[in-house]
Amino acid sequence: MKPLKELINERPWTGWLLYLITVIVVFALGMLASSVMERRAEAVFAYTPAVTFPENEPDSKVWGEVFPREYYSYLRTSDTSFRSRYNGAALIDMLDEYPSMVILWAGYSFSKDYKQGRGHFYSIEDIRNTLRTGAPVGDAPSPQPNTCWTCKSSNVPGLIAREGAAGFYRGTWEKRGAQVVNPIGCADCHDPKTMNLRITRPALREAFESQGKDISQVSHQELRSLVCAQCHVEYYFNKNIIPDVQYLVLPWKNGTSLEQIEKYYDEAVFSDWTHAISKAPMLKAQHPDFEVYLTGTHASRGVSCADCHMPFMSEGGLKFTDHHLQSPLNSISRSCQVCHREETARLIEDVYQRQEKILENRRVLENLLIKCHFEAKAAWDKGAQESQMIEILNYIRKAQWRWDFAAAGHGNSFHSPVETGRIIASGISMAAEARLRLARLLASFGVGGEVPVPDISTKAKAQAVAGLNMKNLNEEKSLFLKNIVPDWDKQAEKK
Amino acid sequence: MFIKLIPPDRWKLPVIIVSGIFTGLVFFLFYISKASSYLGDKPETCVNCHIMAPQYATWYHSAHRMKTNCNDCHVPHDNLISKYYFKARDGLRHATVFTLRREPQVIYIKEEGAMAVHRNCVRCHSDLITDNRLLTINSELMKNRISRRCSDCHRETPHGRINSLSAVPWARVPLPESPLPQWLRTEKQAERKQKF
Repeated sequence: MKPLKELINERPWTGWLLYLITVIVVFALGMLASSVMERRAEAVFAYTPAVTFPENEPDSKVWGEVFPREYYSYLRTSDTSFRSRYNGAALIDMLDEYPSMVILWAGYSFSKDYKQGRGHFYSIEDIRNTLRTGAPVGDAPSPQPNTCWTCKSSNVPGLIAREGAAGFYRGTWEKRGAQVVNPIGCADCHDPKTMNLRITRPALREAFESQGKDISQVSHQELRSLVCAQCHVEYYFNKNIIPDVQYLVLPWKNGTSLEQIEKYYDEAVFSDWTHAISKAPMLKAQHPDFEVYLTGTHASRGVSCADCHMPFMSEGGLKFTDHHLQSPLNSISRSCQVCHREETARLIEDVYQRQEKILENRRVLENLLIKCHFEAKAAWDKGAQESQMIEILNYIRKAQWRWDFAAAGHGNSFHSPVETGRIIASGISMAAEARLRLARLLASFGVGGEVPVPDISTKAKAQAVAGLNMKNLNEEKSLFLKNIVPDWDKQAEKK
Repeated sequence: MFIKLIPPDRWKLPVIIVSGIFTGLVFFLFYISKASSYLGDKPETCVNCHIMAPQYATWYHSAHRMKTNCNDCHVPHDNLISKYYFKARDGLRHATVFTLRREPQVIYIKEEGAMAVHRNCVRCHSDLITDNRLLTINSELMKNRISRRCSDCHRETPHGRINSLSAVPWARVPLPESPLPQWLRTEKQAERKQKF
């Protein structure tokens, strides 16, 4: 072959051909390179949400633009149609169902109004509606502190981040009426950058610290329960930590069992209220769902709250977590049957049986407690001394604490039937002990017969016995709802 | 022969520049396509093409992530030559399809790939199918074993059943980031990356 130079000299078109080929190869290479670049650039945007929002964005709708499936399933917590044998998704007036609760809580705001709440979607509406928050019209303050908002809204993480926990809790409930307007939502459990689960409520973090544990060290599976445990736990307001602040505390320092929490309250000489009939220093259990769940079989097998209450679902070829938080009795196939290969009816019946059997003894304890309160009143009326009553009242306190611990968590009898049964059994023995001592005391005053219990067969009758003027309370509330609440919403919208 | 390609003195400078551009372009292509990564076994290599994200995400959430990477199952392991031959052939086909934007919305494994996967199942799990006790209990075992692939029944191992390109919208997958070095990227890009 001749040198290239000669070849080109002889036939100039070969030179042009060589030139053209080079142009084509470089052009094609360039195209390929730019195609690779383009597809790599795609990767930066594919799987990346196009909407950004600030940290602690309280409006779940904004999050929902990026996560529509999760958001729309969350919206279904507004569906109140499901009803199980004892509970369900609708508002259930528990005082109507169990009028004796009015007497058990006499002197405490729960005797005015206690309903089984609806889904997270209604958290703001329900706390505004309940008689327990009072009717703060004009200068009259609400009987509750701002601490009550803590678990009701996705506005809270932002407010706490800005003002600190104590700053947020300070003041009476109506002060933040226009600030706390979004129901429980995305920001309560999720980190806006990574969507990882996060703990937004200081009380749970502090409770972990009080036990010498660090909540930032827990696993994802534990977080799938702990985000719920930010609120679905026993708590109380401690007035001694910071002046003028009712500080939210989970009484877990000694542990989370009924006895350990009781010991904590006893050591702190704490009582929620003094009973209006028996004058006993009472404790109110506030839905200790998480604590009771911890004692159950499912918890010890590592099953989290979300596993049953937020099972996976699939839609259009996508698998995701159902954010319609509800009773798993309404999602047996996805919640139970992933592990338990039994008929749906059989599984539901299993749950109902546990609930029924626990309820059976709970009512026994309830009746004993009612008698305790009226017999104690009879003893006071006969001139009993405080020194004679103090131990009896302590038994009443302990017995009712057990009853409330079992009754206040609506899922307890399923989450941990053995523990709930044990708690009620020990409550019965304490109530029986109280009544035995009361009988002796009353006998010493010459009262031998049965102490009469007034007619408390309906909510209205029981509330009259407890000395409540329900007509006034309801009227004030409806005025508040008509005149004040719309203003709150208007102010909130302006921001 | 090579000597004949050397251009006349007059042309040397432009030829040096042109061939430099040409070589540089080839290197650039190597760099942005992460060509060297294809020699290794890292699962991250497979999501160089972002359409593999569902496969990566489902594998990452399966038990198999503890012991296997993509290549453990998806390329033959009988010998090194067959491994790299298979890899090169499959890889070039994938690269071509991806470059021409001919990827289907739902990716199914091809016959040859399925066989490679099957042999790899057996490679690790041979104890499960050569148990003599099973042979005596189940008379059809030999027949069933030979006529079927593991994945005929174990259909959800490990990728689950649904694997369309949009099956895992927000999965966090180590997709390649911008090839630009940090100092060349604008603030906004960096910020965006940080956000999600």
